[in-house]
Amino acid sequence: MTNSTAISVEDLHKSYGDFEAVRGIDLQVGTGEVFGLLGPNGAGKTTTIEILEGLRPRSSGRVSVLGFDPAVQTRQVKNRIGVCLQATNLPDKMKVHEALDLFDAFYDRHTDKDKLLSRLQLTEKKDALYKTLSGGQKQRVALALALVNEPSLLFLDEPTTGLDPQVRHEIHGLIQELREDHRSILITTHYIEEAERLCDRVAIIDAGKIIELGSPREIQQRVLGHTLVEVTTNEPMQVERLPEKLRDEKYSVCDDGRTLSMQSSEPAALIVELVKWIDQENLRLVDIHMKRPTLEDVFIELTGKRLRE
Amino acid sequence: MRPYLAQIRMSLRLMLRDRSVLFFSYLFPLSFFFIFAQTFDAGKSPAAMAQVIAMVVIIGVLGNGFFGAGMRTVLDRETNILRRFKVAPINAAPIIAASIVSGLVAFLPTVFLFLFFGNAMYHAPLPHSVLSFLFFVCIGVIAFRSFGMIIAAVVNSQQEAQILIQLLYLPMLFLSGATFPVSIMPIWLQNIAQFLPATYLFEGMQSIMIGGESIRANWFAVFALLITFAVAMFVSVKLFRWEKEEKISNRAKLWILAVLAPFFVMGVYQAKTQQNVERSRILTRNAMRNRATLYNSAKIIVGNGTVIPNGSVLVRNGKIAEVFQTPPSNPKSLNADIVESSGKTIIPGLIDMHIHIGAPGGVYEDQKRYMDPLAGDRRLAAYLYSGITAVRSTGDFLDSSLKLRKDINSGKYLGAELFTCGPLFTAEGGHPTELIKTFPQSMQQTAKEQFVRLPKSPDEARQQVDALKAAGVDCIKGVLEAGSAGWGLFNHLDPAIYAAVIQEAAKDNLPSATHTGNAADVKEAADAGTNSVEHGSTLDLIPQSTFAELKQKNIGYDPTLSVFEGTADMASGNVELLNRSLLQQVGPADLLSGTRALIEKSKKRPASEFAPMLEHSRQNLLAAYKTGLTLITGSDAGNMLVIHGPTVQHEMELWVKAGIPPAVALEAATYNAAKVLRMENRIGSIQKGRDATLVVLDGDPLQDITNTERISQVMFRGERISRSDLFDQENP
Repeated sequence: MTNSTAISVEDLHKSYGDFEAVRGIDLQVGTGEVFGLLGPNGAGKTTTIEILEGLRPRSSGRVSVLGFDPAVQTRQVKNRIGVCLQATNLPDKMKVHEALDLFDAFYDRHTDKDKLLSRLQLTEKKDALYKTLSGGQKQRVALALALVNEPSLLFLDEPTTGLDPQVRHEIHGLIQELREDHRSILITTHYIEEAERLCDRVAIIDAGKIIELGSPREIQQRVLGHTLVEVTTNEPMQVERLPEKLRDEKYSVCDDGRTLSMQSSEPAALIVELVKWIDQENLRLVDIHMKRPTLEDVFIELTGKRLRE
Repeated sequence: MRPYLAQIRMSLRLMLRDRSVLFFSYLFPLSFFFIFAQTFDAGKSPAAMAQVIAMVVIIGVLGNGFFGAGMRTVLDRETNILRRFKVAPINAAPIIAASIVSGLVAFLPTVFLFLFFGNAMYHAPLPHSVLSFLFFVCIGVIAFRSFGMIIAAVVNSQQEAQILIQLLYLPMLFLSGATFPVSIMPIWLQNIAQFLPATYLFEGMQSIMIGGESIRANWFAVFALLITFAVAMFVSVKLFRWEKEEKISNRAKLWILAVLAPFFVMGVYQAKTQQNVERSRILTRNAMRNRATLYNSAKIIVGNGTVIPNGSVLVRNGKIAEVFQTPPSNPKSLNADIVESSGKTIIPGLIDMHIHIGAPGGVYEDQKRYMDPLAGDRRLAAYLYSGITAVRSTGDFLDSSLKLRKDINSGKYLGAELFTCGPLFTAEGGHPTELIKTFPQSMQQTAKEQFVRLPKSPDEARQQVDALKAAGVDCIKGVLEAGSAGWGLFNHLDPAIYAAVIQEAAKDNLPSATHTGNAADVKEAADAGTNSVEHGSTLDLIPQSTFAELKQKNIGYDPTLSVFEGTADMASGNVELLNRSLLQQVGPADLLSGTRALIEKSKKRPASEFAPMLEHSRQNLLAAYKTGLTLITGSDAGNMLVIHGPTVQHEMELWVKAGIPPAVALEAATYNAAKVLRMENRIGSIQKGRDATLVVLDGDPLQDITNTERISQVMFRGERISRSDLFDQENP
């Protein structure tokens, strides 16, 4: 295990009685890397993360977190990581700075709490009671608590679930700042755009196995490899009159035949061909779109289900 | 250590900010405190106040533990607060420790407030050992806090917590004594209560406050609560769950039984020994004795010869708090139950200085009745019923009379106070060894050990006296009796041995009593320096010189006219004594009927045969009175036709008939008797600071001595005795 590896997992298995929740997972998260874990509910995401955080024993496999085995050296692991769980709360009448002081007392490493507060834009709220905070402020407090021990590895479990888009945007900004500190971050999320935006690499988990792993773009290309081209004309198109070489591509028509969607691994050439044909057909081109596939598309393609159901 | 301190600091802060904590820890218990204090009239009795404090403390401790710790933790889990702590490098211990410490800090000021208000507003004295009390309450709080934590550990939801808490909370609230006294519950329910931890907490507090016990006397309860605390801490750290999604298996819920295990053991032990049931009976007794009473506007015969024509007696904490020469102008301000007593006469409780508690005073038809182990207790109840509040046994089985004395003194059983000499010192073949031969064969050996001492030398006599002192007797009884033709002839105790007995007793200021048969015996007793002459002489008249010696040595004279009358009536077939109303109220019916039947079928001798014996007794008494001796009343109950009950009344009646003024007889039966018992600073007179043990009469005994049988009320150590309940007491 090299120093540049924050998390290393080999052939991880976890069973609950007869049910096998994790069925052989391998992954490596490098130092300074932001790694996303995607998968539907029940895919084994939470189980995997909890094993890494030292909250749950594994059935078999090798796991190393910051060089420690979380099942054995649980305290060392917990002491060095930061965790931001989804849907946690603090007592209503706890003040923000008190929460930081309290959690600070649990760890061996300490950080400048004033700096942390100002960085998370909580300085004005430091004497506010927890119950008076907005959703976004509460999530920022949760992030502050996760950072109170200067962790070199951060686990963010659905960090923006349930927040409105503006707040989500705000949190994304914060996470992007955090990655600049050269911290390793493991994010689980339901939001595809979050993963696309924040993660260096993602792993897609389904039924206890990683079914795809790589950078968001790599995955898109590898799985679909096709870009969607969409053209709209003033009058319906006669698709049966498409030229021979275009008819091999997958296509669909809608809008009373006025819109044609077509997939291609060579979209530029396709557009040229299409425009040419429309011209030949004496139709007027009203609109043209090129759409890259998203992780969501990839996900649906790979698992046959949507991420959030 | 840091996580613990931080968590404790945080819990305390949150608690101070929480209005519901203030409500449940202060407002709620304090309102109960005042409501209970009013309801139980706590101002009139420190014991009632102690009861109220124990009640509200239990209510507080139960709420603090089950809701403050248990429910709070469940709620923190359900609202995802605990979840946040799960990922930190700590286990549950700091969280549990903080919960316990903050519970303690929240609760203790309330306890101080209870003590303060009890003292300031209701005049209740602080517990004898405030530290013991507080320490005990603290142990209670932490034990019940940890109970709460174990509940939180084994339930899967708020609903489950509600059910489990109610299952534990309600029985503990109702059966521990916190809502009504344990001693009024049926015995099976009292036994069930012994399985509940709260019962031990309640009883411990009660005994520290009322019984004046220290924490050490309650080590049993302390130990059980501490075990519960330790087990609950261990188990709740082990089973602690941070998230509502984590469920616990039904099997793990059985851990709650492990936490209650010490109390299963205690409950089984208590069910066997009944120790605590007994203890709570004693505590209830003490509580009864604590009420304040004012007997207002009565004639008061103080006992020492003085009479207050129209005064009042204030009783508080079992003692006479004040004797008013005239009724107080504002009796209500005294904060006591007022018993209007116009037209009544109050006398100190009467004392019989010569009884044998082990003998019935008559005969039973059913032989088994002689072996009744509870007969002694019942006889003491009969005395108390009759206004005789103290008796002295001048010869009984040692162990059984000591046990009887303990039954009464502990408050376990309600009856007249018993002073006992234990066995009698006499000669081999001396009186009363002839009685041993009448006992069943199986009892004869025991009787020799328990009933008599037959020293062969002065040294042996001294050793035997010392052994009895060590056993804790109240007096020493020697027998000088040669007997007479027609009654039996006895070996007379050797003078040197007798003198050794009396002197050895006197060495430690233990009073001695001497049975005398004739004038020579009285002289010998006077020479030896005994403290009371019992019987005097029936055979001859005691010379004036001997009376002068008795007077000079301040020796009491106890003529026991009753026993001679009884002997005479028995032999002459006179059953008149069995017809007395008060005796019929207290005497066992089968004893009265058996005795009557025996007398009626016996051959009767002429009464005139006994006239000289009775006449000698009367003459000797009159001479003693005229010489100015300290007269005392003894009946020799237990002998034929002197049945335990209203003995002193009849003895006084015989005295008055012999020519003694009623006032003198009353003084003999109260103050003088107490003096010879060396108890005059505690009993025998109605004076400030003495035991509140007195009898309220419907007539003036100075007018007619038989008015001492017209009893309106008996008060024993501050308790207004419910006389009709005396014979329905649970066995001691």
